[in-house]
Amino acid sequence: MNKSLVPIVSIPEIATIVDIRDEIEEVKSFYFTLDRPEIEEAFKIRSGQFIMCTVFKAGEFAVSLPFSPENDRKHISVRRVGKVTAALHRLEPGDKIGVRGPFGNGFPFEEIKGSNIIYVAGGIGLIPLRSSIVHVLQHRQDFGRVILVYGAKSSKELMYKESIKEWQATENFETHFTIDRPEPGWSGEVGFVNHLTAKLDLPVSNTVAFVCGPPVMFNAVIKELKLKGIKEQNIYSTLERHMKCGIGKCQHCAIGRTLVCVDGPVYTYKQIRTLGEQI
Amino acid sequence: MYWLTKEQLLLLVKKLAEEYKIFGPRHDRVSGEVIFDHLSDWSELDLQAAIPYNPPKFILFPHYEEILKYRYQPETKEVRIEQINLLEPKALIGLRSCDLTGLLCLDRFFLDQEYVDEFYLAHRKKLFIISNTCLRPFPQCFCVCTDSGPAAKDGFDLDLTFTGRGYLVEAGSKKGLALIADLHLPEAGPEALTLKKKIVDDSVSSFDRFALENKAWISRATNRLTTGFIKPEVWEYIGNQCFECGACSFVCPTCSCFNIEDANLASGETNRLRTWDSCSFEGYTKMAGDNNPRKPVEDRRNKRFFCKLSYSQSKKYLRPGCVGCGRCARVCPGDIGLPNVVTYIRREITGESGE
Repeated sequence: MNKSLVPIVSIPEIATIVDIRDEIEEVKSFYFTLDRPEIEEAFKIRSGQFIMCTVFKAGEFAVSLPFSPENDRKHISVRRVGKVTAALHRLEPGDKIGVRGPFGNGFPFEEIKGSNIIYVAGGIGLIPLRSSIVHVLQHRQDFGRVILVYGAKSSKELMYKESIKEWQATENFETHFTIDRPEPGWSGEVGFVNHLTAKLDLPVSNTVAFVCGPPVMFNAVIKELKLKGIKEQNIYSTLERHMKCGIGKCQHCAIGRTLVCVDGPVYTYKQIRTLGEQI
Repeated sequence: MYWLTKEQLLLLVKKLAEEYKIFGPRHDRVSGEVIFDHLSDWSELDLQAAIPYNPPKFILFPHYEEILKYRYQPETKEVRIEQINLLEPKALIGLRSCDLTGLLCLDRFFLDQEYVDEFYLAHRKKLFIISNTCLRPFPQCFCVCTDSGPAAKDGFDLDLTFTGRGYLVEAGSKKGLALIADLHLPEAGPEALTLKKKIVDDSVSSFDRFALENKAWISRATNRLTTGFIKPEVWEYIGNQCFECGACSFVCPTCSCFNIEDANLASGETNRLRTWDSCSFEGYTKMAGDNNPRKPVEDRRNKRFFCKLSYSQSKKYLRPGCVGCGRCARVCPGDIGLPNVVTYIRREITGESGE
């Protein structure tokens, strides 16, 4: 691990919410800055890492980081799903949150230079992949073909519409979208992401895939990618689990012999297959 | 080695009490149970008492602990976070080797992995440890199977062995040696080594037959657990007997799973609390939105035994996670303490019948 990325381990650092944006129904993005200038300066992340976010008087939750390590505004995108995220959704710009982290291993970046990259996301599965997509596009010349295959239940459920428009303006970035059922005015594909993945002409050799979405979608997509000939060790995903500490002590996030907070959250499919637990 | 008389023991405790808060085994006046606890009255210290029903892990890793405190005023957007000082010098007197081994497992887990647990470290920093050789095993004990007793090997500042007349004292650290010098304890002659060996050998030979016979089976169970060669039916059988009470985790010297909750007080302050947790509880892995990746009880049960015996977990502790204290067997209402689980695995391997 890169020792220069020393995280905030036990005591949360105070951060201010500077902006809130509605993404899709029940999902908002919260832009924040860390209050202490020296911490704001030192807070460096790798794509794929996560933080523990404190909503004061409600609790703490683990959340993936969707922003790029370089030149991107710090934010988290959160679905309102439980007690603490509901409290977060009630906050307004100017309110304070607490931040610990960044934790976890993150996606490979240096190791995959020169490869083709396929991103396959379902619904809010695009959130943890966003950081890597932005980072890769910031270094577009270092990679081969870069492809995003993205599906959601309906066009209203597609995340990061503005970012996607910006990405599409980048040269050599291929995008393919699908929604579960036909809609008036929808010109993209209709059907599940795995069906779209199967239909596409995707690169196979020298290719890595990043897959994130609900377990059912995940398993179906992996099957298609493997059928195409992409190797298990070149398929990456990021897993989520109930977490309390983020530093490998509370053990709530154990999957098989690994802990998602320190051994993950990024795993290759080859690793996932041998963990011996449901994903 | 040195000699300590029974009378000097109290002097030793008095000396330690100048600097440390004293913990040790005593009989509870009402229940009669032996508990390892804070001793406000040193004369209650009983080094000949039976194995305490609780391991001393709560001293370093309390059942329930405030790890920080904060006050948030939404009107002014002001947050004040207050760290809590957990540093308090403590002396643990009369630790059995199983419990000392458990403590060393916790040290390796909390302090030697990727991250250091700062709260555990604060408790651990100023600790004086006096271990006590077990003279007789109790019906539940099987430390001889897990290489963790009946005598301590390392990790102590002082180690005591009762000879009937007094105690043989061994120093395991500079702190320990300094205390020996302070008390002017006389050196024991070369015969002390022979005497201690005899005492330990006597203790080992008085272990129950089940413990001695199980010796080889624990390592075979470890092997099976690590390689995953245990039939799902065996876990199902074990899982079906689990009441999900969590008692095994709470009395285990090495179980250290915890939960964290923010509790709002009437004063307007919020306490961040860390509390013991157990992988046998249904909500343990439940995520927001009620998605629970671990459902069946046998799935959760097998995690605890995996944690105690598998090779991959042993790498974290540098030894098996089970220290052979047998407390899980004593408290389990479903009769699936660790020795029984090893027996079920043995039956699967040998094809023995249940009776």
